[in-house]
Amino acid sequence: MKRKSQDCKSRLPDNSAVKQQQLPAFRLQLSANEILSGFFATGVFCLGMGVILLLSAKSIKEIEINYTEKCASCAKLREDATNFDKECNCSISFYLPQKMEGNVYLYYKLYGFYQNLYRYILSRSNIQLLGTDVKDVRNCAPFKTSDKGLPIAPCGAIANSLFNDTFVLLYNPDSSTQIEVPMMRTATAWWTDKYVKFQNPTYQNLSHAFEGTAKPPNWPKPVYELDEEDPRNNGFINDDFIVWMRTAAFPTFKKLHRRLHRIDNFTEGLPAGSYSFIINYNFPVSRFQGQKALVLSTLTWSGGSSLFLGLAYLVTGAVTLLAFFSMMAVHLKLKERKTFFLQ
Amino acid sequence: MFCSKKKSLEVERIVKANDREYNEKFLYKDNRIHTSKYNILTFLPINLFEQFQRVANAYFLFLLILQLIPEISSLTWFTTIVPLVLVVTMTAVKDATDDYFRHKSDNQVNNRQSEVLIDSKLQNEKWMNVKVGDIIKLENNQFVAADLLLLSSSEPHGLCYIETAELDGETNLKVRHALSVTSELGADISRLAKFDGIVVCEAPNNKLDKFTGVLSWKGSKHSLNNEKIILRGCVLRNTSWCFGMVIFAGPDTKLMQNSGKTKFKRTSIDRLMNTLVLWIFGFLICLGTILAIGNSIWENQVGDQFRTFLFWNEGEKNSVFSGFLTFWSYIIILNTVVPISLYVSVEVIRLGHSYFINWDRKMYYSRKATPAEARTTTLNEELGQIEYVFSDKTGTLTQNIMTFKKCSINGRIYGEVRDDLDQKTDMTKKKETVGFSVSPQADRTFQFFDHHLMESIELGDPKVHEFLRLLALCHTVMSEENSAGQLIYQVQSPDEGALVTAAKNLGFIFKSRTPETITIEELGTLVTYQLLAFLDFSNFRKRMSVIVRNPEGQIKLYSKGADTILFERLHPSNEDLLTLTSDHLSEFAGEGLRTLAIAYRDLDDKYFREWHKMLEDANTATDERDERIAGLYEEIERDLMLLGATAVEDKLQDGVIETVTSLSLANIKIWVLTGDKQETAINIGYACNMLTDDMNDVFIIAGNTAAEVREELRKAKENLFGQNRSFSNGHVVFEKKQSLELDSVVEETVTGDYALIINGHSLAHALESDVKNDLLELACMCKTVVCCRVTPLQKAQVVELVKKYRNAVTLAIGDGANDVSMIKSAHIGVGISGQEGLQAVLASDYSFAQFRYLQRLLLVHGRWSYVRMCKFLCYFFYKNFAFTLVHFWFGFFCGFSAQTVYDQWFITLFNIVYTSLPVLAMGIFDQIALDTSYWTVINHVFIWGSIATYFSILFTMHSNGIFGIFPNQFPFVGNARHSLTQKCIWLVILLTTVASVMPVVAFRFLKVDLFPTLSDQIRQWQKAQKKARPLRSRKPQTRRSSSRRSGYAFAHQEGYGELITSGKNMRVKNPPPVSGLEKTLYNSTSWIENLCKKTTDTVSSFSQDKTVKL
Repeated sequence: MKRKSQDCKSRLPDNSAVKQQQLPAFRLQLSANEILSGFFATGVFCLGMGVILLLSAKSIKEIEINYTEKCASCAKLREDATNFDKECNCSISFYLPQKMEGNVYLYYKLYGFYQNLYRYILSRSNIQLLGTDVKDVRNCAPFKTSDKGLPIAPCGAIANSLFNDTFVLLYNPDSSTQIEVPMMRTATAWWTDKYVKFQNPTYQNLSHAFEGTAKPPNWPKPVYELDEEDPRNNGFINDDFIVWMRTAAFPTFKKLHRRLHRIDNFTEGLPAGSYSFIINYNFPVSRFQGQKALVLSTLTWSGGSSLFLGLAYLVTGAVTLLAFFSMMAVHLKLKERKTFFLQ
Repeated sequence: MFCSKKKSLEVERIVKANDREYNEKFLYKDNRIHTSKYNILTFLPINLFEQFQRVANAYFLFLLILQLIPEISSLTWFTTIVPLVLVVTMTAVKDATDDYFRHKSDNQVNNRQSEVLIDSKLQNEKWMNVKVGDIIKLENNQFVAADLLLLSSSEPHGLCYIETAELDGETNLKVRHALSVTSELGADISRLAKFDGIVVCEAPNNKLDKFTGVLSWKGSKHSLNNEKIILRGCVLRNTSWCFGMVIFAGPDTKLMQNSGKTKFKRTSIDRLMNTLVLWIFGFLICLGTILAIGNSIWENQVGDQFRTFLFWNEGEKNSVFSGFLTFWSYIIILNTVVPISLYVSVEVIRLGHSYFINWDRKMYYSRKATPAEARTTTLNEELGQIEYVFSDKTGTLTQNIMTFKKCSINGRIYGEVRDDLDQKTDMTKKKETVGFSVSPQADRTFQFFDHHLMESIELGDPKVHEFLRLLALCHTVMSEENSAGQLIYQVQSPDEGALVTAAKNLGFIFKSRTPETITIEELGTLVTYQLLAFLDFSNFRKRMSVIVRNPEGQIKLYSKGADTILFERLHPSNEDLLTLTSDHLSEFAGEGLRTLAIAYRDLDDKYFREWHKMLEDANTATDERDERIAGLYEEIERDLMLLGATAVEDKLQDGVIETVTSLSLANIKIWVLTGDKQETAINIGYACNMLTDDMNDVFIIAGNTAAEVREELRKAKENLFGQNRSFSNGHVVFEKKQSLELDSVVEETVTGDYALIINGHSLAHALESDVKNDLLELACMCKTVVCCRVTPLQKAQVVELVKKYRNAVTLAIGDGANDVSMIKSAHIGVGISGQEGLQAVLASDYSFAQFRYLQRLLLVHGRWSYVRMCKFLCYFFYKNFAFTLVHFWFGFFCGFSAQTVYDQWFITLFNIVYTSLPVLAMGIFDQIALDTSYWTVINHVFIWGSIATYFSILFTMHSNGIFGIFPNQFPFVGNARHSLTQKCIWLVILLTTVASVMPVVAFRFLKVDLFPTLSDQIRQWQKAQKKARPLRSRKPQTRRSSSRRSGYAFAHQEGYGELITSGKNMRVKNPPPVSGLEKTLYNSTSWIENLCKKTTDTVSSFSQDKTVKL
């Protein structure tokens, strides 16, 4: 009998809140006034935010120089891959109507270059780039090995297609003088890329480290000659190379190339006036109807010069306020009727 | 059915007793049953085959194969195989456990012991080893192991009593009797062992009430019918032993043949999900095709010139082929629109809901210590969609306990408690039970609350005494004294049991009987009455009488029966009493009590002798015997003096009325399907307010032939539509009520309805193809449908009918083996647990101890499950579409190259880890009231926890450390750090949130204002009332209707009168005393034939009632 009563007890479900579905429950139930004021506040906030973002984006000075057309002859030359060792320069002048204050950045911009193709993105070897095993070319098809069977370093389609135009920016304060604008070629890549993800193999001499490997077929020179002046910017840890290796998500993209070195005439930034770019034209784009451009730009707290975010905020704010007014109208109109019902 | 098809070869069955070798030739099934689906060897292949029949699983298998093709693979294989293996394993484990329990219960049944006659010895043998042709011995209260031919029994003349509750739900005892030739064998083992009769009979079938066969033994042939067969599932009662020969064993038994096939039940959401998956798959193919075409064009226009950077293989230069490959790649990428984790999540949610059902204390029945149990975990949300409930009666709606509640004696009601203000109140348990000091044999459990009756007895009111004397004399109860000297009544009708027990407790104790005498103890003094004649009960007569001579020599006829019948035969002087009593009867009937009218007649000695002489003549007559006897009965049962009426309560389970009321409020239709008699079923219908006097019409279909049934249905339909037309404004349409007065809404939906009552024989005709639709149309118009005298298979057929032609979700609830087939064929089967038999529970999807828990199961668990599941599915599909369509749009920017925006880890983890728990929490724990979702703590924990998990996994995967170890797998180093420090990222997140939330809020706000739902209105109203006033509880009031209705219902079978007067069922220890009065003693075969004939007649005479309006 005793056991039976214990049995009964054990079969009786526990009286816990979870089991009896009696957990304390929170119900978000807002009154009409709360909802309306919430809408109003959100609308005003979004509008304000939009205005601020738009103003800050407008404050950015930016100039874009498309040199696809202007260097048509060079482009023609590059269409034939056999001309890879022939140099081709081209000069473009432009006028900066307003001075660019503060830090100025030089970007190159590509139109119609699909850095986001599935096969293209896969075609790289992170192990090789980490410097641990230079001959690891596992995922690099179709650029694994050279014709001679040597592993390519850096292997893969991304590395092979490295953007290799070089630029010199000249400032012309008057028609006779030409001052080369000082540019810094480092600190353009992410810190983590430069110091964690990309590493040179540990050898005294960098060229020794890459012994037994071949250069990518499109490259004019091997990887250890990318920047012979600065050993901390050579080989896999070359900033230009790292920037290129971080593939862009869209077929139109710009990548940071140089930073203005703020010395001498340029401590304040880029003064207004006329400038010219001397372009060493190497990268072929006309084959795939792509375009190349150079962008000089300053930055603000909110990022680049895109107006999209500001506009989006502005529209959202406007719609929310519109909704607020119509909801309030409906609510007030129906309130009379409802009170009538409830009596 | 599959098995019947296979067996169709067997036209007749030939069984030889005690000859296993002979019977083996026919390859009859042995007595082993198995309801399980797999064994150890077949489990894996069969289960996997079953699982991959599911559209989703097959789809994912196909995806997996695609992913293994390197040309196509755009995602690594682990994105699919991990969830797939998880799902398949989980389902397999669940199936295995289910089947394990089936094995266990099969084993338990198969290993029951029974005594089998093997090698001339009685040996204990497991049930499963019992073979056709074996002779087995059964003892009292044992379950019958197989379908047996009764050979002999401990009772005289090879009689034995069985209870068939498991088969047809009827609890009154039934008589079976052996052939006289075999009953002589008795318990003589050696003679039984030599028994070598050959039975030639019908092939296995599911007809419970039919059996035809011939026994050939010792050169003579004896015909066999159902009266000689004991079916598996019956229980032997009041018979110390019996011997039987196995005719059908195991799956061939009528019980198993009736149990139907186990079907794989699916919910409508399952089906919806399967269709959705197909649609989404179509959608996927569209997307894939668009992207493939895009890829072909891109390859042609742009990619062709892009080869400087990627040297494609020669074979891929063809842009069309590239498009073809891209198609498959995108199929893989976009497959997350139907993530496999959907199925896991759905299973988990259902499992959670099942546990809530198991854990619910409000569905725990403490008296039997039985919690509710969700035996199938996959059907919960279907509970919220039930439109039709099919309920068994006995044991489900009723407790199968009859109690003597009230009586009306000589125009005065007893049993109604009156308080000081002399207002009628219902009897409450608080009132003190009447002390039955008068009766030493008083039954403790008996509760009767009226002191006035006791006073009247003590005062010696002659009418009251006569009333009680009648109750003690006019019945077919057998008494027995157990070792403790206590009286035990063997009743074949529970109503009579209640009446005789009541008389016993009130001082008129029925002690014993012989064929010629009845001895009762009247307030302490033993009085022996001579039983002169027994005018037996029949369904046609609806009454029974005894003629007795008391010690003073007076001859009296005591009669009890249906009021409608008895009132016609009263002496004219009874008119005043008649009106009074019939008022009382209507009152009793209004309370759902089963009533009998009670009357007596003083007989003149001479008159009786004449009558008795004529009766004897009639009995010996060869032609028109029955008609003549009936005429004589009619003749003597007249000029009766009314004594009063009894009211017996067929006790409903607790809360049945409330449950029925609230289920009908929820627009759930309740059909009662019972094997019981029409009157009893109708009575219960009234008792639980399913039938009311307010109903516009109650149609009774009781035709015997197809034509009659068709005609009755046609008439009923005409009637229904005719009335509807004339009362069209009274007919309630569910119009949107602007008013907030809840009570009025409630009232109107309940009234203005029809009911249909149909009995089993008519149902058999009505289920034929051409009338089927009429029946269904009519039945569905009716608020209440009661089907009585239906076989288990018919129950299932009715359910199937509604399921098939109404496309409605059905639920069947029952407690006995006779409900198994209906439980199996309904969408959801509910078994009442805590009873002796387990078959119903084993076949059910849900089980609990009380009918009233159905309310909570359907209206709380069912509704919550459904709402949660729907919300879950919407949420899930939304999130996955949002997640996946990004890849579609990105395709336009990446040259349709099947590049993903997210990394593979994110894709793998998104559904399994990052987003599964909040959705699950909503699916499991969301609380819903008044259409508002309540967030519980768990929802919060899971949402914030998931966000935390996301960031911790993100930072781990993007950390320097993990990159150092697996540079190829986790090349994300620095990504999180650099992107999350960008201010515009956060600004975009903020803007997205605002833009996603605002439209919903605005929509809801306007909806409440412009198109408020009922719950909105209630909320408003509650708010207006400032404080939440509890909704007034709507107690179903006990109606006291003015219209007169007979509450007659009597579970009694014809033929017992003869049994008693012949003395065949009396033990030998009471030898029939030689009495002065001559009695016609029929020879044993003749009365048994009579009995059989009459019991088979029962149904037919019963169904002659035609369509009667109550």
